[in-house]
Amino acid sequence: MAISLSKGGNVNLSKEAPGLNKIIVGLGWDARATDGTAFDLDASAFLVKLDGKVRSDSDFCFYNNKVAGDGSVQHQGDNLTGAGEGDDEVVKVELSKIPSDLDKVVFSVTINDAEARRQSFGQVSHAYMRIVNEEGGAEIARYDLSEDASTETAMIFGEIYRVGTDWKFKAVGQGFAGGLGPLATSFGVNV
Amino acid sequence: MNIFKGQRIALASLFENNAQADRFQVGLSISGNKEAIDFACFGLDSQQKLSDDAYMTFFNQPKMPCGAVELSTPTGDTLGFSCQLAKLPTKIDKLVFTAAIDGSTSMGQIKDGYLRFLIGNQEVARFAFSSVDFQDEKAVMLGELYRKDGAWRFSAICQGFNGGMAALVKHFGGEVAEETPLPVSTKLSLENKLASAPKLINLAKKATVSLEKYQLQETVARVGLVLDASGSMMNQYRTGKVQEVIERLLPLAVHFDDDGELDVWAFSSNVLALPAATLNNYADFINTTEGGWRNWGMMSINNEPKVIKQVIELYQKTLLPVLVIFISDGGVSRNKEIKDLLTGAACLPIFWQFVGIGGRNYGVLEQLDTMAGRVVDNCGFFALDDLNSISEQELYDRLLSEFPLWLKAAKNKHIL
Repeated sequence: MAISLSKGGNVNLSKEAPGLNKIIVGLGWDARATDGTAFDLDASAFLVKLDGKVRSDSDFCFYNNKVAGDGSVQHQGDNLTGAGEGDDEVVKVELSKIPSDLDKVVFSVTINDAEARRQSFGQVSHAYMRIVNEEGGAEIARYDLSEDASTETAMIFGEIYRVGTDWKFKAVGQGFAGGLGPLATSFGVNV
Repeated sequence: MNIFKGQRIALASLFENNAQADRFQVGLSISGNKEAIDFACFGLDSQQKLSDDAYMTFFNQPKMPCGAVELSTPTGDTLGFSCQLAKLPTKIDKLVFTAAIDGSTSMGQIKDGYLRFLIGNQEVARFAFSSVDFQDEKAVMLGELYRKDGAWRFSAICQGFNGGMAALVKHFGGEVAEETPLPVSTKLSLENKLASAPKLINLAKKATVSLEKYQLQETVARVGLVLDASGSMMNQYRTGKVQEVIERLLPLAVHFDDDGELDVWAFSSNVLALPAATLNNYADFINTTEGGWRNWGMMSINNEPKVIKQVIELYQKTLLPVLVIFISDGGVSRNKEIKDLLTGAACLPIFWQFVGIGGRNYGVLEQLDTMAGRVVDNCGFFALDDLNSISEQELYDRLLSEFPLWLKAAKNKHIL
């Protein structure tokens, strides 16, 4: 039974699933049933040091840079593999491969061209982030953002971070003004 | 307070100074539209479905059975609802406020609009939107109130469907008949309703054809009948013609009216409000009700204003539209009084269908269709030599042809 987190909550993944190494991070939302301008949502991951910044642009994992953090994080793009069924975007993380000078992987979702399309996360229903153990496919933790999403156009859904030798997952649910560009800049990426 | 598109917010936070607001209003307005806009409030279950049509509140069904939501338009708004959420049954999880635009235009062609919350006629929060929030949608969910962890929250949605009301109703799990802008009703067919009245059953089909022709299948209304009982009508009563009128009109009352009752007045120099005609007492109504027509104290001169006043008195506070069918055999002389009364009544939810039978000199009644100085045209008139001079089908057609036009006009003028 997966642990359901509320905004701000966290869970020790290594304790929940001893020996955990490869995880699947699934991000999802309901496809809109209504007409009107289509939504275009993009998931990204930032691998950051203790100071909250990337080492270099190659630690920014997104649709144009699908492998980051020395191969430890892999953006799967659309879910074509069958793994993490139902997720809209899937990022695979191999915890043991994350370089030791990196402390945290931050997962965000941005609405492409949100301002011009007058869209925000409040209009996206049932957004969630979940952590699945790639070995066996068991879901370890899930964070349902629906009620935490409002007028934001970019959101940090959650992050996994190192605590000693363990890895924890925190439900963040924080909005960020501006789109993917300003978000990346805030993590020290040159865009 | 301003609410923005996409925002989700605790309802209580809108009511900061009235945290216990157990009654509030939702006001809706859209401007710049070339065609009529219909607003509605859908009460959905936890599966986001309209499992009970009675929980859709709109001009034709102005109140939820529980009374939690009812039509009540704040000053300055196009339409509105008075809400008392505590009265909602727990099965209703969400109230969605919608707008649907008629005809060929879409929400992308409006100018702007808003959904606002009021307490005691004072605005406490407003969600404003404009044409740029839409593209080609013809029916949209403007905002919704929903239960979350025991509290009510509001979400500003502004999303919808190009397919109009039909697509919206489908989204809520309803089924829509082709070309019908409203959800399939739970109304029994007229034929089923008249099953207990074998004498009327052959009228059901004919009435249904006319009701469908004028798209009145879903309309709920009260129906009243005013019978001229002046001396010149004596022969019509004696030969059973007036009884025939009752029998032909009762199916319409059964269709429109939830109670299936036809309110009946007889008038001469005085007015007699008779017990309502129903499927239980319609047979020989004229000869048996209140001792029969001979004992009604009628059959003298005709005083139309007197009965018009009584009819207005009964219906002026109703929330439902009212169809009054007024039978006269002419000799109308109190023209100014009638004209003034009906002009004044144009702001009420009453439509007057006058029918002249076998008479002449209908006076002002013949000019009612074109009478100036009214908010809406609230009267219709046609004359027959004899009730038997046209077929039942044609009678229904003529009785119902002007009512839907008035319904639409009255709706546009917020009389309904």
